[in-house]
Amino acid sequence: MTASGQRALRVDPVDRSVLGDETAATDHELLAQAQLRVDLAIDVTSALTGSLNLRRTVLRLLDLITPRMADWAMLVLVDDAGGLDLHGGSDPTYTSGVPRALVEGSGLDRVLRSGQHELLHVAMELDSTGALGTMIPDPRLRDEAIGLRPADVLCLALSARGSTIGALVMIRGAGRGFPEQEVEFAGLIADQASLALDSARLYEERGRITSVLQASLRPPALPAIPGARVSARFRPAAEHLEISGDFYDVHGSDDDWLLVLGDVCGKGVEAAVLTGRARQGVRTAAHFDRRPSAVLGALNNVLCDNDSTRFVTVVCARFRPSPDGTSAEVDVAVAGHPAPIVVHADGVVDQLDVAGIAAGVVRDIDYTEVRFTLTSGDTMLMFTDGVDEARGSDGFYGMDRLLALLPAYAGAGPVAVCEAVEQSVVEYLDGRAHDDIALLAVSCER
Amino acid sequence: MTTPDGLPTEAFDHALSTVDAPAAIALVQGLLDDGVDPLAVLVDVIAHGQRAVGDRWQRGEWTVAKEHAATAVAVSATEVVTRFADRVPVTRGKVVVACAEREWHALPAMIIGTAIRLDGWDTVLLGASTSPARLSQCLHDVGPDATAVSCSVLGALPTTRRFIEASTTAGVPIMVGGSAFGSDDVRARALGATAWAPHAQGAVDALHHLPPVVRRAAPLPKAPMAEQAAIEVGHQRLVQTLRDRWSATTTDGPATEVAREVPHQAVHAVSAALLTGDPRPLAETARWIDHLLTVRGADPRLSAELGDELATALRDYPAAHGLVRRHWTEGLVPQGEHAR
Repeated sequence: MTASGQRALRVDPVDRSVLGDETAATDHELLAQAQLRVDLAIDVTSALTGSLNLRRTVLRLLDLITPRMADWAMLVLVDDAGGLDLHGGSDPTYTSGVPRALVEGSGLDRVLRSGQHELLHVAMELDSTGALGTMIPDPRLRDEAIGLRPADVLCLALSARGSTIGALVMIRGAGRGFPEQEVEFAGLIADQASLALDSARLYEERGRITSVLQASLRPPALPAIPGARVSARFRPAAEHLEISGDFYDVHGSDDDWLLVLGDVCGKGVEAAVLTGRARQGVRTAAHFDRRPSAVLGALNNVLCDNDSTRFVTVVCARFRPSPDGTSAEVDVAVAGHPAPIVVHADGVVDQLDVAGIAAGVVRDIDYTEVRFTLTSGDTMLMFTDGVDEARGSDGFYGMDRLLALLPAYAGAGPVAVCEAVEQSVVEYLDGRAHDDIALLAVSCER
Repeated sequence: MTTPDGLPTEAFDHALSTVDAPAAIALVQGLLDDGVDPLAVLVDVIAHGQRAVGDRWQRGEWTVAKEHAATAVAVSATEVVTRFADRVPVTRGKVVVACAEREWHALPAMIIGTAIRLDGWDTVLLGASTSPARLSQCLHDVGPDATAVSCSVLGALPTTRRFIEASTTAGVPIMVGGSAFGSDDVRARALGATAWAPHAQGAVDALHHLPPVVRRAAPLPKAPMAEQAAIEVGHQRLVQTLRDRWSATTTDGPATEVAREVPHQAVHAVSAALLTGDPRPLAETARWIDHLLTVRGADPRLSAELGDELATALRDYPAAHGLVRRHWTEGLVPQGEHAR
C-alpha cells in the first residue's frame, strides 16, 4: 500500500537482484517447493516443444500455468499488424484482439515496451478495476479477474531473440501472493515460453507462405464431367508435404474434356514447381488445339525452350462422352509415359498400344495418337511409375501384378479401381519408402 | 418401401447393390431437400446400407470388387451430405479427422467428419491410411482443438497408437472409435486416447467434453510391447508359416481363396491383444474367421486349427502364445454345435 492509501495498487518494478524472501519455511517445505518447481520446469520444456503451432502452444502454456503457478492467466501476443491478441482467462480457448493504441500508457504497454516484469499488489478493500484495467484491456477478461478478488497481479514480459513478443499476466488470490523467489521462477518459465511461442510464430508465418504455394502445386479438385465419372489418387513420396513431381489435371467443357497425368523427373519441391509449369503449359496448348498429339507437341517445345534440364513424362487423353452417358470417344497420346490401361466391362484388361518420347528432351516431336471407344462399364486407368516401380519384399510391384489385379474390378467404376490399386500398391510396399504415386481413372456415367 | 422412420433404406440398399451412383445421390439429395435430419441420413441410411455391403462380402455373396464398387457408391452419397454440411456455419473449433496407416475404410471417417461438421465444427479430413508424419504436419499447420480417428480393422490399432502419440505430444486431445475398438472403451483407454466414441452421435457428444489440452500419452507396458514389435517385424514370415501349415490354405477347398488372407487377421488380433491388454480381439477374430469359412462351406474345425497353428508359430513369444492358447477358442462354438 502506498503511504497515501488513496491508490488501489502499488507498482513494483521487479528487482531481480533481490533474493531470499524471509519466510519461516522448514527445510522439508522448501524441498517440496523446489521439487514442484523442477517438475513444472520439466513439464514446461517438454510441453512447449511438443507443438510448432502457435495456438496449440498458447493453450499448452495456459494449461501449465493454471492452477499450478497462478489462479488465472492471460497471454498477450503482439500480432503482425501491431495489434494485441489476448488469450485465456478462465476459458483457455477464449481469444480477443485489441488495437495497440487502446493500451497506450497502461501498465501492459509499459511491460511490452520495456521488456521488464511488473508486480502489482492490489488493495482488497478498494475498487480494483483501475489496477486490473491497466494490465487487462478486455472487459470480459477484466471482469473475470475482478471476480477473483486478486491479491497480486504479475505481468511478465515475453522476450525472445531480442524482441518482446508479448506478455503473460498472472493473478493470485488473497493469501497466495507472489513472493520474490516465485517471481524469479516465473521469469524463467516465461523465458522458456517466449522461445517456444516465438518459434511457433516463425513457423506459422513461414507456414502461411508455404501453404499458399503448396495449394497452387497440389492437384486441383476434379470437376464434374457430364456423362462421365472420374476419380484420382495422389500419394507423394514425402506424404506429409502433400506435393510431388506427379501431377494430374482435368479440364474442358460440355462434351470435350482433357485428362492429363504426368511425372516430372525427380521429386519433392523442385519437381513440384515444374509440375505447375507443365500443367499450365498443357492448359494453354489445349486452348489452341485440343488433339492430345498437338498438346504434347507444344508442351515438348515449350519445355525444350526452357533451360531446365528436367524432362516430363505425360499421358494426355481427350474424352468426348456421348450425350446419353453410355459411351465416349477417347484419343490418347503419351510422352515417355506408361500407356493407360483399359479395364473392360467383361473383365478383359489391356494396355493401350501408344508410345512417344518424354517431353523436354528433343524439339519438334510428332506424337502419335490412338483412338478408341470407351463403352458402358469400361474404366480407363492412367498411372505413374510409382505404381509399377513400387519396391516391396519381392522386388518391383510390376505391370504383371497390376494387370492381374484389375480384372476383378471390371464394372466397379473409377473410384473402386483407384482405391484398389492404391491399397494394393501401398500394402505391397509394407511401409517402405516409395516414389510419388498418382492415379487418374475415368468411365462413362452409365 | 420405407422403414417405420420413413427412411427409404431399401431403395438405398438397392442403389448400392446395383452400383447405381446416380440413384443413390438422387435419393440422398431428395431426403435432404425434404428436410430429413442429415445425421439420420448419414447413420440410418448410408452407414446402415454400408453395413449390409460388408455383411454380403462376409457371407460370400459378393466379391471384394463388388464390395469396393458398392462402397464407392456409398462414398458418393456421403459426399452429398458433406456438401450440405459445408453450408452449416462454423460455430466451434477445428477437428482433424483421420484414418491411421493400414486403415483403408475411409467411409466411416467421412461419415464421422460430416457428422462433426454438421454440429458446427470446422473439419479437416485426411484420407485412408495416413502416415503419422502427415498427421503431425497437419497438427502443426492447423492447430486443431481435437483429433478424431476412425479404426475399423485390428491391424490399424498399432498405427492408431502412433496417432495417439503424435496428437497428445502436441497437446491435442484425441477421440477414437470404430469396430476395432470393440463395444466399450477398454482398448481406447489402454492406447491412451482421450475419449472413445461408440457411434456418430457419440462422437458428436464426446467432442463437447474434451479438455482443451492433454498430456502426452503414457508409454505402453514394456514387455508386451516388445513382443508386439517383434511380431510386427516378423509379420510376413508368420503369415507365410501359417499358410504353409494350415490345412485351409494347403489344400484346395471351397474357401481357399479367402483363407489365404485370413492369417493376416489372426496375427493382427495377437498384436491388438498385446497392445491393449484386452484379450477379446482373439476370440472375436476366431469367431469372425469361423463364420467367414463355414458360410463358404469349409470344414468347421478350420478356425480352431488356425488357433493351434498360431500358438505354435508364436511359441517364442510367451505372452502372445499364452493369449492365443487361452482365448482363441473362446470365440468358437464347441464341435458339433454349428447351427448352420
